[in-house]
Amino acid sequence: MINKALNHLEELLVTFLMGAATLIIFVSVAHRYMAGVDIPGLQDWLLTLDFGWAQELCIIMFVWMAKFGAAYGVRTGIHVGVDVLINRLDDRMRGKFIVFGLLAGATFTGIVATLGAHFVWENGAHYAFFKFLGMEMGDLYEGPTTPDLEWPTWIVYSAIPLGSSLMCFRFLQVCVSFIRTGELPHHDHGHVDGLEEEVPPTDVDFYGMDDNLHMHDLKHPMVGDRRSGEDRRHEAGEKPDGERRHDERRKGDEGDQP
Amino acid sequence: MNAMVIFGLLAILMLTGMPISISLGLTVLTFLFTMTQVPLESVALKLFTGIEKFEIMAIPFFILAGNFLTHGGVAKRMINFATSMVGHWYGGLGLAGVLACALFAAVSGSSPATVVAIGSILLPAMVKAGFPNKFGAGVISTSGALGILIPPSIVMVMYSVATNTSVGALFMAGVIPGLALAATLGGVTWYRARKFNYPRQPKATWGERWKAFRASVWGLLLIVVVMGGIYTGIFTPTEAAAMSAVYAFICAVFIYRDLGMKDVPKVLLNSANMSAMLLYIITNAVLFSFIMTNENIPQALADWMLGNGLGMITFLLAVNVILLLAGNFMEPSSIVLIFAPILFPVAIALGIHPVHFGILMVVNMEVGMCHPPVGLNLYVASGITKMGITELTVAVWPWLLSMLCFLMVVTYWPGLSLWLPQQLGML
Repeated sequence: MINKALNHLEELLVTFLMGAATLIIFVSVAHRYMAGVDIPGLQDWLLTLDFGWAQELCIIMFVWMAKFGAAYGVRTGIHVGVDVLINRLDDRMRGKFIVFGLLAGATFTGIVATLGAHFVWENGAHYAFFKFLGMEMGDLYEGPTTPDLEWPTWIVYSAIPLGSSLMCFRFLQVCVSFIRTGELPHHDHGHVDGLEEEVPPTDVDFYGMDDNLHMHDLKHPMVGDRRSGEDRRHEAGEKPDGERRHDERRKGDEGDQP
Repeated sequence: MNAMVIFGLLAILMLTGMPISISLGLTVLTFLFTMTQVPLESVALKLFTGIEKFEIMAIPFFILAGNFLTHGGVAKRMINFATSMVGHWYGGLGLAGVLACALFAAVSGSSPATVVAIGSILLPAMVKAGFPNKFGAGVISTSGALGILIPPSIVMVMYSVATNTSVGALFMAGVIPGLALAATLGGVTWYRARKFNYPRQPKATWGERWKAFRASVWGLLLIVVVMGGIYTGIFTPTEAAAMSAVYAFICAVFIYRDLGMKDVPKVLLNSANMSAMLLYIITNAVLFSFIMTNENIPQALADWMLGNGLGMITFLLAVNVILLLAGNFMEPSSIVLIFAPILFPVAIALGIHPVHFGILMVVNMEVGMCHPPVGLNLYVASGITKMGITELTVAVWPWLLSMLCFLMVVTYWPGLSLWLPQQLGML
């Protein structure tokens, strides 16, 4: 329940930041050129507006988008890696490496979140909270502000601790679900079929193909080449484990329909 | 010594299959905790400031524009236009595919996106027209690689981020090599089609050509917006990218109406997902190159190269071999972000022009996208055609071979890349 709300919030935030940043830059550029055109009334009004902050806001929005989008990316399995070797291992070994990779991700993002939180706290958050609570501040550092918008930087930089903690949480979540089900989030399984239609689906993702840039989970067969061991078994009339399980599941799905 | 430790650790972490961004970050953290006195806070700050550059923001914008165009009927109309122009020659639709890829490359900054956009429409049509599956897949997966050579190009933005080279100059420098590569690939297509006598399309009249041109003109105008805007100085590259995203949105939703308003959030989310992944690699790669510079590794490498009397020719050959090998493991953006900061100082010390070096790297990346085990283009083409990767590898080799020859030409003939930006006074 809470998880679902979090998912939605994450998607909404990322979508909004992407769209809004594009609009802001568009409007500021349009403003720059429209203000030069001599239209009575309109020009005067445009000249009263100042879009000097647009670049800075766009950068801030994209940094936030990057941090939270990276967390969303863990959930969609988009992060690319060097998986040529581990995709050739057998299922058990590969499983171990996948868990190791996910935990490494959680460790890194965890450390970064801690470092970032410390940094943000020292550079103004501490001051701001104490001021807000009306507490004794002593010689706390108020922290710098951004050049154009003059926002306190600690608010801007809090994207690091917030985004990284979320990412850490996502890595752990994916890891737990992988240990339980043997499945990784990897949104291409259906998509490759989607390309059969003449127009590609709206969210076709070429970084999500079944290539050697992503880890292969234990549930789905590879779309490209089968690994040599599986190939032989395949020729012997036996389906690879993953595929068989996949088929059974599909059969189960179809059975549910009237 | 330190260099060996850093690279060894990075290589080991990468080979365990964790995301590249994470292995870069963990290498840096391990190094910081154990071997240097660089304050950790500066690392946390770098995580934010690493991508705090307006130039980098061109990447999400170009991805967004590309994603709008992939579904907009832009690709379809470009294919029609290309077919009406060259369809009656040997290779017919195949040749049209090369031309359409080149046109689409001029509005999109990514190779796999070009393969998706052109391939998903053209490949079924080619099979229907009587071409073997192999031929079509070979043409499209290699021509799709033009996406990162013909501007705009996401990989070029990555290179400029890693080395502080001007994006505008890189874009202009990519035009002539891009057209030359398109001609080369077209030539191979024509030759093979003539040899095997593949079907040709009926010749279109000038009236039909004009009609096809009129239909595709909205997409073609985007080329003018981006290149013209940057060249005349109306926009910075990032602003041009944002303008092209808005323009692509208007094109897809209001002019061609292939996309409804309800699809827009999906496209936004999907683009944000991809860009966040790339931006995350950039953040960590910036950290990594910060450590490298701190340890003076590129400088040491440059001194070593010069001390051993290794000249430009040997160096460029070595660069090509290293990058082609790296292309077997990683995707282009990561390769550029990791290798450019190391190789760039050496190249400068040897008197190689930064822009020429950038184009060389981009062409190298193109080759890497077209062969297994990680070539993104191949996997996309495999998704469209349902062919296995081994089969596709065989299918692309004539084009891939010509691409390798082309790489050699680009490597040792700087004039090919530098002439246009020099004429335009951008260098």
